[in-house]
Amino acid sequence: MPKALQYRTSSVIYFQGDAADKIYILQSGKVSLNYTDIENGQEVHDIVQPGEFFGVKSALGRYPREENALVLQDTAAVMFSVPEFEQLAMTNIRIVMKMLKVFSNQLRRIHKQVSNLLEKEEQVNPEMGLYKVGEYYLKNRQYAQAKYIFARYLTYYPAGKMAAQAAKFVESAEGSLARYGEGKGPAPISNSAPASVPKPDKGRELSAVAKSYYDAVSLFSQDKYPQALAGFKQIVDANEDPEYVAKSVYEIGRCLFLAGKHEDCIKHYTSMITSYPKHPDLGDALFFMAQSYEKKGEKERALTFYKKILAMSTDEDDVVHMKAKKALKALEA
Amino acid sequence: MAMDLAAFSRFARTFQKGEMIFAEYEPGDAFYLIQTGRVQIVKVIGDIEKTIDILQPSEVFGEMAILEDSPRSATAIALDNVKVLEFNRANFEVLMMGNPQIALKLLKLFTKRIYDQKRRFMILTLDDPQSRVADVFLMLDETQPPADRDSERREFKTTMDDIAHWAGMTSDQARDVLNHFVTQRRVEIFQDKIIVKNINDFQRFVNSRRKKS
Repeated sequence: MPKALQYRTSSVIYFQGDAADKIYILQSGKVSLNYTDIENGQEVHDIVQPGEFFGVKSALGRYPREENALVLQDTAAVMFSVPEFEQLAMTNIRIVMKMLKVFSNQLRRIHKQVSNLLEKEEQVNPEMGLYKVGEYYLKNRQYAQAKYIFARYLTYYPAGKMAAQAAKFVESAEGSLARYGEGKGPAPISNSAPASVPKPDKGRELSAVAKSYYDAVSLFSQDKYPQALAGFKQIVDANEDPEYVAKSVYEIGRCLFLAGKHEDCIKHYTSMITSYPKHPDLGDALFFMAQSYEKKGEKERALTFYKKILAMSTDEDDVVHMKAKKALKALEA
Repeated sequence: MAMDLAAFSRFARTFQKGEMIFAEYEPGDAFYLIQTGRVQIVKVIGDIEKTIDILQPSEVFGEMAILEDSPRSATAIALDNVKVLEFNRANFEVLMMGNPQIALKLLKLFTKRIYDQKRRFMILTLDDPQSRVADVFLMLDETQPPADRDSERREFKTTMDDIAHWAGMTSDQARDVLNHFVTQRRVEIFQDKIIVKNINDFQRFVNSRRKKS
């Protein structure tokens, strides 16, 4: 049963962050919904009018309250559970329609805000996006899907920059479908051939070196140090991409440390510092050297390395800096 | 709850199993209510096709189209022989007035979408890539059923590409950040899941970054 409730001035009906399972309708009095605007950080006070619902979104969406509901004048309200509210809504479709309007406006607004932010970053234009999805299906011999998409492309962008190619692809998808059937035959565009897109999206394609690097990182994260070590070594030995070689050189040291090979770790990083005096992970490397010395019982040496790290960077928030400080303290105690 | 939709048969459309209902990036002007069969929602990310959802009869999809003519954000494919009712802005109100259940369903869908978008916005306002990625995990944790709240370890059935999508960055950027977290031993990456070792640590990290800005 919906419950009639009375609230005194300056009491709080619910707090931001509270679990939400109730919906309220204001009968009389004054309630303010206070929250911080996510776009400009300003404090917003929305006054609820008598007859209006509040607390609807979080209760229906099952997420925490997003605002404080503060009572400004002695207030009478009716509280509904979600099923009770649903029952009410079924017989009062006007309520739902009104809420749909309010929510769809909110949704449209927040959607805009998000796309504005994303626009500053990277956003695919719909024309090329559609074309590329078509290519994906053609490559994977899903001819019917590819045909649908390229046909749609031609409908929307009859003079688009990929129109000629799309028309060809409609034909080849049709042809392959008739000749070989779905999922069969040679793909009209191969997987390895670069997509016939004017500007290939570089961010997506990973080089073979990068792939093996991330494979090794994945092994590392699963505590498979010898396997990870082998992977990183291969990248260093192949010596194809200087960026990944440098990264791998650093990783090798970590693998050695975590595999308990402290002596090897120190040796490895000593040589790394010589070949890469400005390695981006220099601080971390020094830290592992210090740790290795500590494990070997060479306290003085460890101290020297920790101090070196602290001298290197003054950024207190830096993770290595914090770790070194902590280790130094522990060691000196 | 049986819905009386006989009056709407003129809006009915059927799709053969495997047929595409709409494609990602296509302009959208209609939304759909499934009557029979299932619909698969997919997205092509990089060179993989990823299933986002599988929808059952009585579920609604493509609903963003009644708000604006923005391009479809995913592809819908008939998983069985599917019968749907197709609606647009013009006949939307008629449908809703006659069918409180659908209206209510849509209302709930909107509340969820508003929350998702707001949360996404919050992530995107963070300046540095590391805190963005950390915040994506916090968001995923909030929407995930509260499995084991006593532990600070969290498992996410997600991929680097998903994380990149939510964080508004390229896959490479997301990879670099995640890799950095791996080296800090804050996350573990597997084929089908990512483990955050201490979700509270990420919470503190994001909070501190948010205050600074």
